[in-house]
Amino acid sequence: MAGHRIELRDVGHRYRGRGADVDALTGVDLTIEPGEFVSVVGPSGCGKTTVLQILAGFLQPSSGVATVGGDAIAGPSPDRGVVFQQPNLYPWKSVRDNVALGPQLRGAGRRERHEIADRHLALVGLSDFGDAAPYELSGGMQQRTQIARVLANDPDVLLMDEPFGALDALTRERLQDELLRIWRGSGKTVVFVTHSVEEAAYLGTRVLVMSPRPGRVVLDEPVPFDPDTRDAALRLDPAFAEFRRHVGERIGSYA
Amino acid sequence: MRLGCIGHKAAMPIGFTVNSRRPAVADAGAGPSRPWAPLARRVGYRLLSLAVLLVAWWLVTELQVWSELFVPKPTAVWDRFVDSVSVHDGQKGLSGYYLWEHLGASLRRIGLGVGLAIVVGIPLGLLLATVRPFRVIVEPYVNFIRALPPLAYFSLLIIWFGIEDTSKVWLLFLAAFAPIALSVVSGVEGIRRDRIDAAHALGAGRLGVIRHVTLPSVLPELFTGIRLSLGFAWTTIVAAETVDGIPGIGGLAWTTKKFQQTDVAVLCILVIGLTAIALDQAVKAVERRAVPWKGRA
Repeated sequence: MAGHRIELRDVGHRYRGRGADVDALTGVDLTIEPGEFVSVVGPSGCGKTTVLQILAGFLQPSSGVATVGGDAIAGPSPDRGVVFQQPNLYPWKSVRDNVALGPQLRGAGRRERHEIADRHLALVGLSDFGDAAPYELSGGMQQRTQIARVLANDPDVLLMDEPFGALDALTRERLQDELLRIWRGSGKTVVFVTHSVEEAAYLGTRVLVMSPRPGRVVLDEPVPFDPDTRDAALRLDPAFAEFRRHVGERIGSYA
Repeated sequence: MRLGCIGHKAAMPIGFTVNSRRPAVADAGAGPSRPWAPLARRVGYRLLSLAVLLVAWWLVTELQVWSELFVPKPTAVWDRFVDSVSVHDGQKGLSGYYLWEHLGASLRRIGLGVGLAIVVGIPLGLLLATVRPFRVIVEPYVNFIRALPPLAYFSLLIIWFGIEDTSKVWLLFLAAFAPIALSVVSGVEGIRRDRIDAAHALGAGRLGVIRHVTLPSVLPELFTGIRLSLGFAWTTIVAAETVDGIPGIGGLAWTTKKFQQTDVAVLCILVIGLTAIALDQAVKAVERRAVPWKGRA
């Protein structure tokens, strides 16, 4: 379990702009312990996606160090699965072959990777759709497929970039509950970026609030609810509403 | 920008239509109970217009508006068609070959030239799109060749390779490879960043990304490039067969001027045009099988 503590030390990032450069992040210090579910919330332009891109290895920070398990992040790795806002499924592959891509890339044979794929499709409730083409599925089912594809690699860390942002409210809530079910007891670390305070509070064991221009962490608190009892009742709990208000206020002062 | 520069010269060949007809059918409000009705109506309109055209042609020739030397009768064209597929007066077909032999010879040249262009154009396009220094150096030459009318360099090819098929296949290859390579470049440039990142995060290296993401992503644009090239190559071969083009449908068309055989000329025009449309439809059919996701993902 101790292998994949995530650390950011004084991380900054600057995008080269056409006129002026933009400081997307400055002085971000952060330690994420294995097994945590960290929600990162903030208005657009606060650098939350930049943080995720650095953790994924898509982006090298302009300053500071990002490490996982003590090693600097040099590039993308199958140990750190990334779930994008868009499903990013490959339409030339069946749903099953999409999910089997990770195992295929590390050299698993046809039978093995199909067995892995089918197991993970069952996990997200899509057992009957392995042979379908991705574009034949609804948006929510496509997003489930993407999650199954990432889980099929059995990554230590899940990096999720507003994965439910493009879905309707009902589907979003259902997928939130599915994500919690899958995460519980998995020991996986989740970093979940969202612009919804409700979502951040409902899912996370810990909530980070970021402020824009330049992006930095302005609130970092544990979520005071048992991760095992997140359900419809919690959404209506006054204490939950109070916590949302507390987090929301911190964002509101920068919006 | 890149795709834009492929288009303008080659965009005109007969039979090339950009619009897919699927959305048009959907827009026509086809009821689920009679999905064939719009299709039947369209076919009906087209047959009707064809009939009107034929009647007008027949009338003009019957009334002798112009001399038959200039506008042959429909029946004369039909007679030449019959000649072209039979032995008559002890002669085989037209100019010593049956019609299908003329057409086959032209199609063979096209197949070789465009086939080679595809084999060379795809890797060339991938290199141009992915290796920056290669692109900086090579792209201007590709653009230069693409901009040339193929007949401009045909005489050089004849001097180098002789008047027989080799020079014609080279000509078609040179006419066809640039649009194909540039369509691959444009396809690679259109790939969404996320799709590549997703593959990297799943464990793909450079080769894995090319195999699982780049190559399949390029297919829709590649087919567009092949259709453009094929149409362009067809117009080119018909012109190129003015030199030692028998057998060949373009060669046959060219011979008609010597004896003022307007009926054979019209026959050739019909065959050339219908073949162009058939070629384009054939590529479209292959595309529908190879790229079932086009326009849907």
